[in-house]
Amino acid sequence: MAGDERLVPLMIAYQAGRIDAFEALHLALADDVRRFFAASVPEPSAVRDLAQQTFLELHRARHTYRPPRPVRPWVFGIAVNVRRRHRREAMSRARREADAPAVMADAPAPSPDVVGTVAIRRALEQIPAGRRRAWILHHVHGFSFEEIGARLGIGAGAAKLRSSRAMRGLRALLTGDRGRDDE
Amino acid sequence: MMSDHMIPAAVLDEVRRDLRPVRPLAAPLVRALIVLPVGIALLAGLPLSWGLRRNIGELAPWASWGLSGLESLAGLLIVGAALSEAVPGRRLSARAVTLTLLAGALVPAALMLITSWLAPAEEPPGVTVRFAIECFDQILLWAMPAVAVPAWLAARAWPERPAVAGAFYGLGTGVMADAGARLFCWVSSPLHVLLSHGGAIVAVTIGGAFVATLVDRWRPRPRVRASAPGQDGS
Repeated sequence: MAGDERLVPLMIAYQAGRIDAFEALHLALADDVRRFFAASVPEPSAVRDLAQQTFLELHRARHTYRPPRPVRPWVFGIAVNVRRRHRREAMSRARREADAPAVMADAPAPSPDVVGTVAIRRALEQIPAGRRRAWILHHVHGFSFEEIGARLGIGAGAAKLRSSRAMRGLRALLTGDRGRDDE
Repeated sequence: MMSDHMIPAAVLDEVRRDLRPVRPLAAPLVRALIVLPVGIALLAGLPLSWGLRRNIGELAPWASWGLSGLESLAGLLIVGAALSEAVPGRRLSARAVTLTLLAGALVPAALMLITSWLAPAEEPPGVTVRFAIECFDQILLWAMPAVAVPAWLAARAWPERPAVAGAFYGLGTGVMADAGARLFCWVSSPLHVLLSHGGAIVAVTIGGAFVATLVDRWRPRPRVRASAPGQDGS
């Protein structure tokens, strides 16, 4: 994972119009962005599209980045917006389809990857929001606990505690081990 | 997760097509200065169009124009907070949100108390509702068009929580409009000020949240062209 201190000069060069800086930023961030969407969107093709849209939006909004602020929170802020729009469109599509006569097509069976993602997402939904947020920011977006603390308005230690409690809860939910998952 | 370092052709084409250098957005408070002429227009426009409050002589200049100027400044700072919230990755903390809302409520309330202490004036009997509606309407009438300026500034970024950013710039604009309203409205009874002026500020706050949500929904999405096999990095 590229440190933010390396991304800042790349972002400045990108704002100055250098394509190689954009390519380096993409190289550094694309996997994390895809991971971000994979945590909440089960279809791999949608994950790819959303990551692509994020970089297009990032390009359009590149003037909104202010050096020397950390680059990752800005990029994931854009990703959050792309996901928000995707969810809104999906809900609106679902409403339209519910209004139309239902036509059941033979749907292919979901792949094991999709099943796993759905299981994790469902388990995550059962984790308290504060812990879930810390866990996602750390394990999906790759933020340090200091960055998470700053984002959530808590200390780094509290962010770490929340994330580890979320992890314990997830493990219990996914393995069926209902042991001591909370203090 | 599969590692994939190939930039999709559609993205690369789009970036190459428009790679002009861009200047980063100025700091939120600097951008809020663009709203300063709007604040001045609200501060001066309301008393100029309706006339100064008839008991302005009972208030020293610091208590009339001075305190209204301070209230305008508070509104401008709230707009600055909205513009900060509007930048991706710059969500305000829960504490900052609470403090901003408190400032938006407490500044007009404090001015009301000071004014009613310095120049107490009740509305004549029988016109309470008419006076309340007039003040409410005027603040709304002046503030809602003025919301367009911070709405445009916020939309240039892309807020993660459009309703929050919109509520904040609505609140800031409402407070700025109230700064002008207290220079023409001579009634200082708490009931009138809280219900009519406070109600109008709340209405502009809700209006700002609504405007920001609409702007967010209308934001055009970038076109993602279908990639040929192998070009999408898969």
